[in-house]
Amino acid sequence: MRFKASIHNITTFTKLTASLNSLGPLAWVKLSDEHVCFTIIPEQGTQVWAVLSIDSIFETYTVQSAAGNVINLEVPLTSLTRALKSALNATSAQLRLTKKDSAPLLALTIAVANAPNAHAAFPATAANNDDGFDAPFDSAFGSGNRETIVTQEIPVRVLAPDTVAGLHEPQCREPDVHIILPPLLQLKSISDRFTKLAMAGVKSGAATAPSRTRLEVAANMHGCLRLSIKTDAMSISSVWTDLNNPELDPSQVTGIAEHPSTRMKQLGTADGRSDEGWASVRIDGRDWGKVMSVGRLGGRVIACECECALCFCHDHALILYVYLPSDNGEDESVLTYYVSSYSA
Amino acid sequence: MVVLNFTLTPEAAAKVHDLLVCLGKFSDTVAIEARRKSFTFTALNSSKSAYAAVGLDAKQFFTSYECIPSHGGPEGRFTCSMYMKALLSVFKGRLYDPLGRDGAIDRCEVTVQDRADQTECRFIVRMVCNQGVIKTYKLTYEAVDVMHALFDLNVAKNRWSMHAAAMKEYVEYFGTKTEMLDIFAGEEGRAVFKSYTEKITNGHEILKHPLVTAVAVNTSDFEDFNVQTGLHIIISVKDFKAIVLHADTLKTSLKAYYSRPTRPLQLSYGSDGLLCKFTLMTSGDYNASTASTPAPQVLSRQASRAESASNERPENGNTGSEMPPPNEPASRRSARRRNPGSKKPSSPRRERPDSETLFVQQDDEDSRWEPLDYNNEEETLGWDASAEHDAAVFPTFRDTARGSQIGTEDSVEALAPTQRISQIKGLW
Repeated sequence: MRFKASIHNITTFTKLTASLNSLGPLAWVKLSDEHVCFTIIPEQGTQVWAVLSIDSIFETYTVQSAAGNVINLEVPLTSLTRALKSALNATSAQLRLTKKDSAPLLALTIAVANAPNAHAAFPATAANNDDGFDAPFDSAFGSGNRETIVTQEIPVRVLAPDTVAGLHEPQCREPDVHIILPPLLQLKSISDRFTKLAMAGVKSGAATAPSRTRLEVAANMHGCLRLSIKTDAMSISSVWTDLNNPELDPSQVTGIAEHPSTRMKQLGTADGRSDEGWASVRIDGRDWGKVMSVGRLGGRVIACECECALCFCHDHALILYVYLPSDNGEDESVLTYYVSSYSA
Repeated sequence: MVVLNFTLTPEAAAKVHDLLVCLGKFSDTVAIEARRKSFTFTALNSSKSAYAAVGLDAKQFFTSYECIPSHGGPEGRFTCSMYMKALLSVFKGRLYDPLGRDGAIDRCEVTVQDRADQTECRFIVRMVCNQGVIKTYKLTYEAVDVMHALFDLNVAKNRWSMHAAAMKEYVEYFGTKTEMLDIFAGEEGRAVFKSYTEKITNGHEILKHPLVTAVAVNTSDFEDFNVQTGLHIIISVKDFKAIVLHADTLKTSLKAYYSRPTRPLQLSYGSDGLLCKFTLMTSGDYNASTASTPAPQVLSRQASRAESASNERPENGNTGSEMPPPNEPASRRSARRRNPGSKKPSSPRRERPDSETLFVQQDDEDSRWEPLDYNNEEETLGWDASAEHDAAVFPTFRDTARGSQIGTEDSVEALAPTQRISQIKGLW
């Protein structure tokens, strides 16, 4: 069983593991020739099934095993995230599967270039020397062996193929409504605010009752998304309009004419005032806040903005697809969140 | 009848704050030893595996310094012990601020009131602030004999020194919750700092094992590196982190001296009349692979005794009861170190990894995306705290009248808007 890869996109990888970590402490990582899959199945709350193209995070990637070159690992996300964070300023980072005292572990080897003797020469300005402006002279004429090597060892468990054979991605019927989400930070801050309002004035013991923090998320096929919370004392909702309902691809979906979303298109209006045409689900506000944590992958650069689509099965399920852009534009990476929903 | 008066500049007072924070990571109490020419803070941790001494030079560090011990002549001393928390609440952070903002002081005057004709013995600190405000703190202290760890530099042939800022960068790679630090002089010109935990875990627990981090540094990156190749020496990573963080506040170089595993290791650094020395217990070869440890033990024991006699003995009879902890048999100490239960962290405070960093890093930008912590008290809405039916966090005028209002119709109106009507019934 061998796995070795160098990481070429440390920032993305770190943000990915950090956002997955907010949903659960352990990830099932499946390494194969085609994809890298991260799956989080917490005891309760939202499941994530992420399928990443190999070149979205790795380069020079080799995986070999007796089970058809597939390796299944159970990885503690907190340790992995912590290890990856220490690689953010690295010149190179390599991840490989190895063993120490018969315990399997993922070894992350990081090379960090350090400006030679920068601290000794300019003690007073040591903190400003990280920009490396005075480094080129030494690296050009110096020994060239100035890198500091950091090794982080992350304990893992190897999962047998039988163990993972019973894990299946949830199945859902065709969605009633699908819609592209507004900027996630906006959505996150509003849903966080709603959840906070729902919990205000409640003793911390009672606040854990999930019935209080149920958010209702609804959307129609005319570009409207509505987030609302209702208690006996109040009812608040925020409505977004002019969002995009992506067209279904005829090559992927058969029978568009009978598709539930086609029927939903007949109902409702684009200003979101009509009561008709909404598909809605009830979700836990705190769980939703954890899901929204994926927004960090989008970053601030517009070109890298990840696209998030939400699929509604009325009163039944909510599925969030997060598409990550890839360099070659072919192999898309998709994170699928199966958001746990509650009946009314 | 002791006379001890000294004055500190704001910069020096801020340094006292920094060193107290560092010593506070070792012990809950700090001991003070004042002599005619020097002033020393010492701390010994509860398992006696780490001893810290910060010496302040009377001329360089203080604006003015006067110490006349009650007895003992020129070598006499005044010793006492105080609670770290008490001193830290006096020597707060931000005592020195060039812009003179909140908390900044003009100077700090300390006197010890210890007279037979006075009813109270107090350690009195006067913080003279910028607007003519004078804050006077009177602290109690306990008369104790101060013990010193002895360390024989002559035997400590293995030495290295490195700028604290560089060392701090390496320390930041270490995972949280690790216990040990192995300093290894490897071949090919590299020194390896490895943080790890010896805890044995099995089954599912193995995934909770902390990260093992090894930082391989070129020996050419050290200012000076002179260590026997292949030598492993193991200390507590928590102690090392505390020391490096403090050394970094002084922008100075950290120097290490040690002979061999199970013998003490000393880390020292200092600048501007402040000299810090940390004597740490070490334990043996962590994988017992190197058989090439030298054995100058008899020599070292005797030399350290000799030095102890020359340095510390010429004191008066009643202060001479020093029992240097490192003279304990080495085998016993290393055995204790291997038992994880005996090495309890001396301070319950959890150190945040980047708490010292002033500048906004990528992490901070990232933190917006963290799921919100709804249990955070400061985050809760509180425009009418009196609606809380357990004791309100924010006292309001309604609190006083609540007793008479309970059970009347009015009190319903005081509910926060999100209170469910259905829940109100059960409360009375």
